[in-house]
Amino acid sequence: MNSMGLALAILGASISALLAGIGSAKGVGLVGEAAAGVVSVDPDKFSKVLVLQLLPGTQGLYGLLTAILMLSRIGVIGGNAVELSTAQGLMFLGASLPIAIVGLFSGIAQGRSAAAGVGITARKPEHNGKAIIMAAMVETYAILALLVSILLIYNIAI
Amino acid sequence: MGTQYASAVAVVRTMENSLFTQSDLERLINARDRKESETLINSKNAGTLPEVWEMLRTFAPDSKELEIILYRNDFHNLKAVLKAMVSGREPDSYIIQPSNIKNDTLKEAFRTKDMDVLPDYIRETATQAYELITTTLDGQLMDSLIDTACMKAMQESAEKSGNDFMRKYVNLITVCADIKTAYRCSKMNKNRDFLEISICGSPELDKESIIRATLGGTENLLSFLGNTIYAELSGLLKENPAEFEKRCDDMLIELAETSRLQAFGIEPLISYYIAKEAEIKNIRIISVCRECGADKVTITERLRKLYV
Repeated sequence: MNSMGLALAILGASISALLAGIGSAKGVGLVGEAAAGVVSVDPDKFSKVLVLQLLPGTQGLYGLLTAILMLSRIGVIGGNAVELSTAQGLMFLGASLPIAIVGLFSGIAQGRSAAAGVGITARKPEHNGKAIIMAAMVETYAILALLVSILLIYNIAI
Repeated sequence: MGTQYASAVAVVRTMENSLFTQSDLERLINARDRKESETLINSKNAGTLPEVWEMLRTFAPDSKELEIILYRNDFHNLKAVLKAMVSGREPDSYIIQPSNIKNDTLKEAFRTKDMDVLPDYIRETATQAYELITTTLDGQLMDSLIDTACMKAMQESAEKSGNDFMRKYVNLITVCADIKTAYRCSKMNKNRDFLEISICGSPELDKESIIRATLGGTENLLSFLGNTIYAELSGLLKENPAEFEKRCDDMLIELAETSRLQAFGIEPLISYYIAKEAEIKNIRIISVCRECGADKVTITERLRKLYV
């Protein structure tokens, strides 16, 4: 049995969850810092800034979804791992990269954008929606990356 | 790009909502009596400068830039302690807060003649000023020495910080102080020796040029300034010195406004402090003008530009 292929595919699943998760953690953490600042002065704005804080959290979920789909496709979830050649393993590893890398950077970028949006909510709470829309724009690229990763995972012949 | 002070900037943005607006100031001008004024001020929940400083320091305890904005208070307190010492009084009522150096530390430094307890930026000036006042008893010369040393210390620290906003802030303060000093010196026919001590100089208004222009008389100085980027200030100085002071304060607020677009960094914090200083100055102007019986138009003309 060629275990290298399977190892590479599992590495791909890990990387997608890991890097996208780091991006989200950094983004959510940054917005959390800004949000805590606002709430310390005006606790009534908690719900408004919470929405902004949640936005960069999606990249981590996309990474997790990709990892689960990949582990399911190669049979690791379910206990019937398929035999993969090294080339197939590398393909799965490659499939994980879009969401892993885009997830990492878009999570951080969305965090910055949402943290700036917290400033809008602090000064002009009635324009909170605009802050959410601006931060949500970054999400587009994480979704595109997720789509590519999923397409790749389901189109690798095993 | 850094994401420093995200939390502090968010706090400051929230607190900007409680700064006085134009309509608040108009209500204050139109208040029937002192009690109504006090009620208005209290309703805004306006914190004092030391309170604002404490808050900013809590969020940015390691910021060197933040320290620089209090240098002027530190050097003022140095003057107060030295003058009080020479005249045998207690300096406490002349001390300005907030400051980087504790009142007791300043007093202790002169009591024990040990200037090492003072921070680097003020230590040498404290020694020079002490020697000057104890040997000459010339308070005016000591004031000039300390004021110039303060500007120089601010310039050096701003340069060291590498922060462009701080460089502009210090440059603006230095230019305004130099123009005002040069104008007064030209009116009083002060000599070169005095000017050498009193003028600091800055990248935009070089020390030697200002001194030469000042020695040529008031008209010569104004004509020199008229050919610089500060021609507007020169014109105001000629027409109405009060307008000059107002313009200098307004230029600081305009600089502070440049950081309104920043979501991170120390600049919004410094800008909030500048805005708070301007707010307190406006409240003071209204109170003093009302006490003096000035009309509403005069009071409004003297008010400084608002940050919000």
